[in-house]
Amino acid sequence: MIDYAIKKSAQLFITVFGVVTLVFFTLRLIPGDAASAMAGDTISGEALDLMREQMGLNEPLMSQYFGYLRDLVMLDLGQTITTRLPIAEMIGNAIPVTLSIALLTILLTVVISIPLGTVAAYMAHKGRTRLDNLLTGFAMLVDLMPSFWTALVFLLLFSLTLGWFPASGMVTLDDPAMFLSRIALPVLVLSVTQIATMARITRTSVLEILSEDYVRTARAMGWSEFRVLFRHALKNAALPIATVIGLSFGNLLNGTVIVEFIFTIPGIGNLLINGINSRDYQLVQTLIVFYALLFVSINFITDLVYRALDPRVSF
Amino acid sequence: MANETVDTAARRPRPPALALPTEGLWANRKVQVALMILVPILALTALAPLLPLQAPLETNLRAIMQPPSIDHPFGTDRMGRDVLARTLAGVKVSLLVGFSVATIALIAGMILGTLAGFFGGLIDRVVMTVVDIFLAFPSLLLAIGLVAIVGTGLIPVIAAIAMADVPRFIRLQRSQVLSLRSRPFIDAARTVRASKGWMMTRHIIPNTVAPMLVAGSIASANAILVEASLSFLGLGIMPPAPSLGNIIRDGQTYLQEAWWISTLPGVVILLIAFALHFLSDGAREELDPRARK
Repeated sequence: MIDYAIKKSAQLFITVFGVVTLVFFTLRLIPGDAASAMAGDTISGEALDLMREQMGLNEPLMSQYFGYLRDLVMLDLGQTITTRLPIAEMIGNAIPVTLSIALLTILLTVVISIPLGTVAAYMAHKGRTRLDNLLTGFAMLVDLMPSFWTALVFLLLFSLTLGWFPASGMVTLDDPAMFLSRIALPVLVLSVTQIATMARITRTSVLEILSEDYVRTARAMGWSEFRVLFRHALKNAALPIATVIGLSFGNLLNGTVIVEFIFTIPGIGNLLINGINSRDYQLVQTLIVFYALLFVSINFITDLVYRALDPRVSF
Repeated sequence: MANETVDTAARRPRPPALALPTEGLWANRKVQVALMILVPILALTALAPLLPLQAPLETNLRAIMQPPSIDHPFGTDRMGRDVLARTLAGVKVSLLVGFSVATIALIAGMILGTLAGFFGGLIDRVVMTVVDIFLAFPSLLLAIGLVAIVGTGLIPVIAAIAMADVPRFIRLQRSQVLSLRSRPFIDAARTVRASKGWMMTRHIIPNTVAPMLVAGSIASANAILVEASLSFLGLGIMPPAPSLGNIIRDGQTYLQEAWWISTLPGVVILLIAFALHFLSDGAREELDPRARK
């Protein structure tokens, strides 16, 4: 186990290093340079030179690169070029918002999809496939709905027509009630896609286990169907389900960018879009690296937890 | 008797390098459903200039934000442009993006994946390290990041989405090649001193085509969704050129007054994505003997 963790950590380190390097050098490939791309036609001449100087673009490429690596390790993320705000602070403010959306989505997904999938598996096991078919069809449909479109339809239905959720308003953690009511709809939008997928995976895992010998044994011992289903079958199916939840985190991150944009929620996704629109390459570079870090770390943790908990996986 | 056998063997036409069981494909229910959706959409898109519709970019300020009617089946937008005409023009962009991305990703993935899987060693290690680095980004975010660099517009968007997709194809192709490499028929080819190039192009690649085509069909659906998302975020195809994503973005401001601008083009995206997934599902059932129902 330890050996495996060390080997995987080394791989993770190489990947992260590659990500940082790739992002740094590709951003330097921009025709012209970051300064002139940012300035557009607005400034030129000496002002542009000053800007280059400030951005450190006049130094040799490799020393810029090593400087960047050093700053990253020291967590010195610098300032945005357009607004001169410290990037670390901006990300620090945005992370809780995005993570709240992501975690609430996972929570809602788990609470709904696991019982739903378990019941579908049970019914399929008994030869009644209607719920099963319905679930499969529904999963395919929502899986293919572009999330921005789903978000707009939900906004139109639940916010503008039915008035259940506010469509605008400040989003700060200082006002938890307002905060929750503002992120409720985004969470709902993201959950819809996840629920269907997760319910199908639960269904498949549970169904497989229902035909195992030990489930028959449990039945033979006279346990109630409910107990067999939830104590024996679901418990053994929990591991693959948890793994899939971990691995679907990347999709969730994609989704948060879209819902934050539509519902004007000040998370990291919105920060990224604004950064791109204002051509703030310093900010974009940092955020892209940040997203990749978050994504690979979660995959890494999921993998380790899976291997630590599943006695069948050998090292 | 023995002579006869030799004769038939000699007369037997040489088998084609690539034999996909295509007859079954047309009889497959899922493929038929997919075509029933795709063919009308394709036909409408191709015939759009002949339909009694306004041109996609033509404005008519006397008919702004009209609800769907016979004249404007999808209604009109804030500049009096016909939403159906714009949607059809957007579909053309979508299909172009989907097809180009799938083709580029398929070819690049096939070449790099075959080389990595067949030769192993250093090439494999280098290719797979780069693949891992690319797969470290959530897919849409990678496309967003790439668009931030290469810029907006049709070609950059195609390039960005394809680049984000190639690593997945390399992985798939490599894993297929790895499992084929140890099969007896490759040993047989090696015994008769077939060259590496011959083995790769004649024995390995033909056996990997079917799953790659299935993956390509899903990738094209995905590319359509990603392009729409990028354009929606204002990072893809820029207005006034229509794309399904930016039409929906346009309508967002008028969601309450003119719901049709944003919702109806979305239904079209959904239909196309649905059809492409059905197509790939059906193709898998027919082309991959292990996946047969």
